[in-house]
Amino acid sequence: MSAAEAVSVRAERKLTLTKGSQAALFVLAVVVTCRLLGAHFEWLVKWPAALTVPMADWMTWLVGGFLDIFKPIARAFTFLVSYPMEWVGWLLNAVPWPMIVAVVTAIGWMIGGIRLAALGFFGLMFVVFTGYWSQGMNTLALVAVSVPLALVMGAAIGILAFEYPRMKGAVNALLDVMQTVPTFAYLVPLLVLFGFGPVVGLIASAIYAAPPMARNVLLGLERVDTEIREAAVMSGGTRRQQLFLVELPAATQQIMIGVNQCLMAALSMVIIAAVIGGFDDIGWEVLQTMRKALFGPAFLAGSVIVVFAIIIDRMSAALAEPRQPQDRNVALGILAVGAAVTIWSLFAGWSPTGVAAMDGIAKRVDEGVGVFTATYGSTLDSVKNTSMFYGLLPLRIGLAEAVLPFTWGFAWTVKHTAMLYGAALLISLILIFKGRVTAAVMVLIIAYIAEIGVAHLAWPVVILGAGAIGWVSGGWKLARLAVILLSLILISGLWERALLSLYLAGAAVFACAVIGGLLGLWSAMSTTAWMVLRPICDFLQTIPLFVFLIPVLMFFQIGEFSAFIAICMYAVVPMIRYTRHGLVSTPDEIIEAATASGAGKWQTMFEVRAPFAAPTILLGLNQTILYAFAMLVIAALIGTTELGQSIFLALGQYDVGLGITAGAAMAILALVADRLVQGFAEERRQALGL
Amino acid sequence: MTDTNSTAPAIAVEDLWQVFGENAAPALRDARGAGDDKAIAKELKDKTLIPAVRAANFEVKSGELFVIMGLSGSGKSTMIRCISRLIEPTAGSVRIDGEDILQASDKRLIDLRRHKLGMVFQHFGLFPHMTVADNVAFPLKMQGAGKAERRARALEVLQMVGLEGREDAYPRNLSGGQRQRVGIARSLAVNPDIWFLDEPFSALDPLIRRQLQDEFLNIQATLKKSIVFITHDIQEALKLADRIAIMRDGEIVQIGTPEEIVLHPVDDYVAEFSKDVPKGRHACVESILMDGIPDNMPDDPGIKIGMTLDTALTKCMELYEPVPVRDAEGKVIGAVHPHELANALQAEET
Repeated sequence: MSAAEAVSVRAERKLTLTKGSQAALFVLAVVVTCRLLGAHFEWLVKWPAALTVPMADWMTWLVGGFLDIFKPIARAFTFLVSYPMEWVGWLLNAVPWPMIVAVVTAIGWMIGGIRLAALGFFGLMFVVFTGYWSQGMNTLALVAVSVPLALVMGAAIGILAFEYPRMKGAVNALLDVMQTVPTFAYLVPLLVLFGFGPVVGLIASAIYAAPPMARNVLLGLERVDTEIREAAVMSGGTRRQQLFLVELPAATQQIMIGVNQCLMAALSMVIIAAVIGGFDDIGWEVLQTMRKALFGPAFLAGSVIVVFAIIIDRMSAALAEPRQPQDRNVALGILAVGAAVTIWSLFAGWSPTGVAAMDGIAKRVDEGVGVFTATYGSTLDSVKNTSMFYGLLPLRIGLAEAVLPFTWGFAWTVKHTAMLYGAALLISLILIFKGRVTAAVMVLIIAYIAEIGVAHLAWPVVILGAGAIGWVSGGWKLARLAVILLSLILISGLWERALLSLYLAGAAVFACAVIGGLLGLWSAMSTTAWMVLRPICDFLQTIPLFVFLIPVLMFFQIGEFSAFIAICMYAVVPMIRYTRHGLVSTPDEIIEAATASGAGKWQTMFEVRAPFAAPTILLGLNQTILYAFAMLVIAALIGTTELGQSIFLALGQYDVGLGITAGAAMAILALVADRLVQGFAEERRQALGL
Repeated sequence: MTDTNSTAPAIAVEDLWQVFGENAAPALRDARGAGDDKAIAKELKDKTLIPAVRAANFEVKSGELFVIMGLSGSGKSTMIRCISRLIEPTAGSVRIDGEDILQASDKRLIDLRRHKLGMVFQHFGLFPHMTVADNVAFPLKMQGAGKAERRARALEVLQMVGLEGREDAYPRNLSGGQRQRVGIARSLAVNPDIWFLDEPFSALDPLIRRQLQDEFLNIQATLKKSIVFITHDIQEALKLADRIAIMRDGEIVQIGTPEEIVLHPVDDYVAEFSKDVPKGRHACVESILMDGIPDNMPDDPGIKIGMTLDTALTKCMELYEPVPVRDAEGKVIGAVHPHELANALQAEET
């Protein structure tokens, strides 16, 4: 290509606006309109209260009637389920603890050899020594009943969706809703339906845990090799024979991954459901101690949950992998030792209930935290305040209101506003000159957001902006979906809280994207880094959401910043994982081609690996967004004022309508964000022909 | 090759169409008015439908090894799935021993598959969660056969394919060639009359492929199944087939014996396939018989009917006069000119 041609091509590109720059210009037009006319027409910024629909009341009325009809059936179900739950609880408490330790260790041996046996043994011995044995067993009893329920439900849904492809769309939508609606939101209607008590927690956790099972069953069935399927057909199997003798067994590995995820989901939900109380389990213990600011005991009880989670996770994950058969006699030997210890402990009258071997540690943790916060309190405070005043607050209420003399050292005046926009205009002019129209327009829009703040954004900007992004990422259909769903929140009167949720989740996602992206890049470049980060990622992903709050609370107390940190800790993991995975899994041939072309390590990274990894990284971002929204509701426990808090209020006030509406609003935000990012990921994947 | 056998053909395919896309059947019905098959196909393509198999017509005689050959995307895999009704053809009929299986009920179809049909897959299609013996016995299990009987029959078939001793291994422990032996054994477990093989040897190394081809021919020599065999490899087709159908873009462009395909390709497309094929190995002396028998033939190197050109040529390397061709009884039924022999072999180089 000659130089003249190159110039003409660039000129052409300048003239024809891309889809992205068209959308950006459209949003800019909306921004300018709202910013200039907002002062005169208040409805442009704030949705008039007169047009707000009492969605929550309607929901109460609508769902209330519905619930009344099903109440008797639900109560009968409660009655039925409470028996197996009591039996299992009784059984787990009645069986002497050495036997349970021995059984778990033996199971660990059978499925994973010495490694898992050791994990089971030391994990459970830790639980014994914390003195939370009986609470732990109560939690396990809940899991033991809710998981089979979830497995059967999930498998049935998965098979149904596979057998009747017409239902697949509906089932997928249902699963999306089951997973994006925050669990607390459906605790309220469940409470009304099933009455107070542990059964509600059990059912909530079954509902929460069924979707991963259903998805994996569906995925596993879909992935069964066509020829294997055809071989079953040609062997003359009936449809049922094909399904149960060939397709399901052939999909075992994928299904076992579903079982693993189902177990983990059930465990974390059982803990969350402890919020409604009524059952002496570990989740309740954590919540109680946390409310009393007893961080030592909270930490200890929390680590019991973590131990359970890790044991359940590793053992069920090992089930999904092909394994070597183990010596049965060793397992029998372990059981025999367990029996011997049982007899000894019966004679010696030793029971774990009163054991508090760890209380010393708990106390020391408490003291340690006390000393630490006393010593470094000012440092922690300044970390917290700096990020609050220079990061979170301006993002939330905008520079115009957040910049005060006592925090920033000067007051925000019209002059500063002019300077901000002037600088933005200058940068965007330079960008336009370079031919990057989209980026130029984006700079102006970002300047507007920085001045006004996310929480004060004019509603047309948010709704039409989301619509514009949707149009770019997935066409008119997605744009329409985004606009309609967000408008529902607008007229429901939950708009301001939704914006606060958006701000908190958005800030966390942004932080996660940057930090997680860098960590992912780092672990892709260096194996040592990954060796350090990987167990941390594993650990962060196995512990139930709840437990994240404990360390954060210890150091940063209640408040928005703690919520922000908790969300980041949880949501950063997928970003790290997917970034690394995407960068590392570029096909060898492509890397070799790059090396053969003389590319250096970093050149290969940015010119070859990164573009190839883009869809995977976008998928990671997508997961991060969903994780952030999931954690948002939990984080509301430690003081935020967004939708998550509404959901808690509803729970406390037994308000079905508010609970469902706020939950739905939260789900809408998550769903829209999810679809927008997925649209981009899909587009990249197709562009790369993957 | 037109021996008038009184029995019905094992498989008879008539005007078979497979069109992929939404509302394919009505679209095909509408397009019928467009004229000949090419015009119909064009009209379908204009509606963004994909005519994967177009107006296929052929018969497979009882005990015949019928090979369908074509490049990938030519519709051969779709064709075999239509005949076995793994997918529903859009129009046409497929008769197996006179019975139209496209009209068969689901129950009848299951019955047919349990007793009459066997199929081998390109990537083996073995059940990963079953042992070799369980894989092989699976069709018998579907029939409702007892455990002992299944085991006995599985061992019997496994011995036939040379896998005795491996019956308790899992597919993942086997090599590619061994896996396909299991696939073959499984398809033969119920002793079917009709045998479908969908590129059975394509995924294997050349050496293993040749070995399995030979064993396959041996098995067929004793079992005499009616076979539809799919391949994209002309050498394989020529080596195995009684007759070959060549497909292009869903259409059968030529059906004939290996010799006819090699010596009389109907168009450039078919000729292109056989370009690199050493003709002498597949064509027989019949194809170049002289008109009439000369009175005086001084030499008689012993050329017989059915002898390949290669063999014939080695026998008359030094001869320049026509030589007699005899049938099995030794009666002279024609003559060949050695000059013609040499010419036939070199036809492609000119």
